Amino acid sequence: MDIYLPIAEVSVNWPLLVLLGATVGFISGLFGIGGGFLMAPVLVFLGIPPTVAVASQASHVVASSTSGVISYSGKGAVDYRMGGIMAVGGAVGALLGVELFRYLRLLGQADLVVALSYLVFLGSIGLLMLKESLTAIIQRYRGDAPPRRDRRRPLWLYGLPFRMRFPRSGLYISAIPPLALGVFAGVLSAIMGVGGGFILVPAMLYVLRMKAGVVVGTSLFQIIITTAITTVLQAGRNQTVDIVLSMLLLVGGVVGAQYGARLSGKFRAEELRAALGLIVLLVGIQMGLELFVRPSDLFQLAPGIAD
Amino acid sequence: MFQALPPPPPAIEAPPPERSIATETEARVAAALTEARVKVDSSFRGAAIVLYGAVFNPDDAPTDVVVVVRGPDEPLRLVRKSRNMGVWLNSRPVLFEGAPGFYMTASTRPLGDIADFGQLRRLGVGVDHLRIDAPEESRSVTRYGVRDVVVSRLGEDYLDWRRAVIRLKEAAALYDTDPDGVEFVDRGLFRAEIKLPAVAPTGRYYAEVWLFQEGAPVSVSNLTLTVEKVGFERDVYEFAHRRPWTYGVLCVLIAALMGYGASKVFRRP
Repeated sequence: MDIYLPIAEVSVNWPLLVLLGATVGFISGLFGIGGGFLMAPVLVFLGIPPTVAVASQASHVVASSTSGVISYSGKGAVDYRMGGIMAVGGAVGALLGVELFRYLRLLGQADLVVALSYLVFLGSIGLLMLKESLTAIIQRYRGDAPPRRDRRRPLWLYGLPFRMRFPRSGLYISAIPPLALGVFAGVLSAIMGVGGGFILVPAMLYVLRMKAGVVVGTSLFQIIITTAITTVLQAGRNQTVDIVLSMLLLVGGVVGAQYGARLSGKFRAEELRAALGLIVLLVGIQMGLELFVRPSDLFQLAPGIAD
Repeated sequence: MFQALPPPPPAIEAPPPERSIATETEARVAAALTEARVKVDSSFRGAAIVLYGAVFNPDDAPTDVVVVVRGPDEPLRLVRKSRNMGVWLNSRPVLFEGAPGFYMTASTRPLGDIADFGQLRRLGVGVDHLRIDAPEESRSVTRYGVRDVVVSRLGEDYLDWRRAVIRLKEAAALYDTDPDGVEFVDRGLFRAEIKLPAVAPTGRYYAEVWLFQEGAPVSVSNLTLTVEKVGFERDVYEFAHRRPWTYGVLCVLIAALMGYGASKVFRRP
């Protein structure tokens, strides 16, 4: 049941990869995230070189997000205008990120920056989501009246130039914040091998204050574009995309994503957010631990020689 | 890494095996591999190749056989983790050259019993005698009035670094020392097994079969072994490296189409 991967140059158990793809695809469909932050650590654990893992799973993110966007799009829950602007930012960010990643690899600090990014971003986002959603759940059980949502948006969102109308999101704001958000997600996409959904979704909800219904679909739409660009760049610049690995992950991923998306309607939004927050937090802590635990060997091979 | 440089010559140029009448008076070794080409395809999970050979020994003095197999050279970069304020950080990476991607020795006895340190060092036999070195770290200085003394910036830790290279390669099953890997199946007839792990690099491998007598090499037989990707694996690898941008676009298109296809298939009527 083992298969030799031509680019990763390792032999792995393929049913395991399909299963992994399906699981991550399911989570991705359920929560409306790319799921990259879950996939990359597991692939590395299975013995696939980190650079290949990060680059190859990006196309898995493309597939599961495409399948997600199509089902959200049918419900009119994708703001293509907002997503498009964020995707432009994402493309710029991906270009920057791939170059930054090459430079970090050269310095031998790539794994350190990846671990640190996971710890800081996943840890803080996970905590925030968990706190917010648990508060909402507790209030609902107690039967308290839900607190009036603060509909005021930060003033700076209105002070900036290039204001645009986003009818689907119910917004009339400057194009700069979504663009900046896109750039940020693009850089993360290249460095951490993630779509950036876990950053985008909360930022769109709590900073931009978009209509909750369109947030997930729009973030998936922008993720498709950003990760597609990242994949092409990784293949073109670093030759680290393993098509066999991607395909195995995809096969499970697209099916899993469908079931996930179907199931997501059955849960309350805050319950989903609480579960996602917990997963995000745990992965962040797990990845960050390597910064504090004494390594089994003080010496380690640093990837990246040829460039 | 695609168009690999021509492989380096073996550590020492050995004279061509004797095929003359000298055989009748001098000890000689001859060897062959069961497979000279290892094909890496999608079912590749490593390989075990048997090397067998014969010792012609007219005067019955005890002999030892040492089999050395080295794969293509692969420079590697190493970092050392150190603790700073509770956090484990990486040092600057150090580039090591001269480390083969695969290296194994198999012998009839521990190498140290077969020949002395100087002899092994001269022949480059044994992991401790590999010419692994960090050229970018060394510089020439004048010490005690002696010019051009080569010192390493790694200083006294240099040996720790070098040992770490070998330790990490051994952990990946890429380096191996087997003090009784050469097994005599009959008088004068021996076999040894070369175990290639799935992560073994592709390229040309050199095998040297040394015959030692009283601590000195008396004969050597040189063999080559090629590890190469074949069929689909090779096509994918070459496509990914020759036309990387087309390859990347294709990967994305397939992914998007599969996502699209799945959502059509699973759409509820």
